[in-house]
Amino acid sequence: MAPTVDRAGASSGIGFADEEIDVNLRDRRKLGTYVGFVLPGLAIYLMIVAYPIIYSVGLSFTDFNPNRGGAWNFVGLLQYRTMLDDPMFWHAFKNNMIVVAVSAFGQIPVGFALAYILYRRLVRARSFFQSMVFLPQFLSPIVVGILFRKLVGVDGPVSRLLQITSGDPTRQFTMMLKAQTVMIPIAVALLWMYTGFYMIIFLANLQKIDVNIVEAAKIDGASEPQIFGRVIVPILSGTILVSTILAIAGSLRGFDLIFAIATQGLQRNNAMVLPIFMYQTAFQDYSNTMRFAFGSAISNAIVLISVILIMFSNAVAKRFNAGEVG
Amino acid sequence: MSDALERKGFTVGKPFSYIIFIGWALMTILPLFWMAYSSFKSNEELTRNIYAFPRDLFDNRNDEYMVIAPSLNLIMPDEVKANTADYLLLESTTIAPNRQLLVQFVPKADLDPELASRTRGDRVVVNELPRKYQRRISRSTMSFNYRSAFIRGELPKKILNSIIYTAVSTFSMVFLSLMIGFAVSKLPFPRLSALVIGLIGLGYLISTNSVIIPLFLMLTRVGLTDTRIGMILVYTAFGIPMSTLLASQFIKGLPDSLVESAEIDGASTFRAFLSIIVPMTVPVIITISIINALGIWNEFLLVLVLASSEATKSLPVGVYSFSSLTSTQLGWQLAALVLATAPAMIVYFSFNRRITQGVVAGAVKE
Repeated sequence: MAPTVDRAGASSGIGFADEEIDVNLRDRRKLGTYVGFVLPGLAIYLMIVAYPIIYSVGLSFTDFNPNRGGAWNFVGLLQYRTMLDDPMFWHAFKNNMIVVAVSAFGQIPVGFALAYILYRRLVRARSFFQSMVFLPQFLSPIVVGILFRKLVGVDGPVSRLLQITSGDPTRQFTMMLKAQTVMIPIAVALLWMYTGFYMIIFLANLQKIDVNIVEAAKIDGASEPQIFGRVIVPILSGTILVSTILAIAGSLRGFDLIFAIATQGLQRNNAMVLPIFMYQTAFQDYSNTMRFAFGSAISNAIVLISVILIMFSNAVAKRFNAGEVG
Repeated sequence: MSDALERKGFTVGKPFSYIIFIGWALMTILPLFWMAYSSFKSNEELTRNIYAFPRDLFDNRNDEYMVIAPSLNLIMPDEVKANTADYLLLESTTIAPNRQLLVQFVPKADLDPELASRTRGDRVVVNELPRKYQRRISRSTMSFNYRSAFIRGELPKKILNSIIYTAVSTFSMVFLSLMIGFAVSKLPFPRLSALVIGLIGLGYLISTNSVIIPLFLMLTRVGLTDTRIGMILVYTAFGIPMSTLLASQFIKGLPDSLVESAEIDGASTFRAFLSIIVPMTVPVIITISIINALGIWNEFLLVLVLASSEATKSLPVGVYSFSSLTSTQLGWQLAALVLATAPAMIVYFSFNRRITQGVVAGAVKE
């Protein structure tokens, strides 16, 4: 193995062409084997994952018309300008930021707190509680969404519960009906559904912490909040960052749950988020001849926003750590 | 070890912790429990009292039925359709009356002449019928919601599709990514491998949702929309980045001498891969399969966009369209939801530990 590596490394130039020229027959056979192993998977990946990314970027700069057999012209930033002028885009953007906030400032801290309770054994029946909190994550978001829609529906169980508790037989659960409040029940559903995931991640990483560190801190007279703030949180700062990145990427592309909770029409418009806006633009608005190009612009905007937010949280994390050290 | 973590000083913390966890557990259990028992309630019962336990569909021996004439919107089994005149068509007068939803078919030959001669509009009470049919009607009344979801939502077909998508895509993604993982960590082409891993790593943060439009256009061009093979290809491809990274990390940890000694014995590289490497990677295969199978089983948007016929829809899309088509039949929809959640819950509770470990492994490597 070693000689091949050296020769390949010593040969000038880049890429695999020289590797092919330099090698003797045995190595050439090996390269054939290598290609045989890598190619099937790589080809499928390049065709179905990598190429569409480029396609999507290209498409967003055209006026691609599916109603005219896909005729297209280069139109520059037209789609992006239309998007920024569309009030629905900003409405969806605002709602999406709410979703991001719910996961970054709701799911992650609550998940951490739940994991910490389990880690410090403050409750019995830990595996039961753990599996109950984690369960929703495992169910289909569509099924959970439909169930949730039934629960908070106008004459659903939640309305009935309000009537029983308030003694007023005309009480209704109206949060789903108003644009100002529709994101509140959705935030509850998001918290219920995904907090378990972060709890599991934090718990797994808490359990990796050397118990002696906690022990040593206790012997040194550290109080419980001090152990938490000065020992546990710094050790897990990497996990917190990774979870934040996952939460941002996940909440910006999350589609199913909100799609299933809010019924088509006014309610879905009220609860609009960017992926649903993209879906409705591209696949339901048949009269718009630029629907695919416009939809691609929205998709690319989603990817761009998540990259910006992820870079931002990276920067915040770096700053935070630097402040800690200094 | 446990002593260091156990904390006696938490006087406020403990009850507070219990309140949070018990509350959370109830938030999980109660809606699912409501869904489960309500799926056995008739629509009339659900309207009357949304919380009561089911009764109508179970207490059915004295139900009153009415003889009806065959009509177009009546769904009949094939043997009834062939000779409608030989059957007495009975529609329930209490459950979904006048809508041809709960209809029983009794062959006239098995009834005594007086009953068989009853005509349209006449009443029949279940316990007037022969015992055999009483039992049959009783059973079919109890399973009314589930039968309707199965037949009208064509759920068996969708469950089968979901199983096919999940199983075939998971299998092919595991196989392809083990092959790449083996090549990049055990074959002597380090620069090429760095390139391959770099390319594949780029796909990490991309999901089907981000590129659904180009995917739709590409698959339309090659005629793969609304086909099973199209969905399987996409699922397989999007599973490759994470599976390959997990697989190559794992295989890198296996000793090089394994493959070398197999080759000295005259085995081909592929042979060595299949008979030596694959059996040793079972733990990582399980991890990859759990995370990806879970994702594919629950995936929605891709099938929603690509599947235009009932024959290729998966379970989530099937349940979603069933629930929008039958929005007045809450009982049926709840039955469909139970059918969709039950398999996932059975799998979850039987492989709880493994699933948790798998999800952690997949996320932490990300």
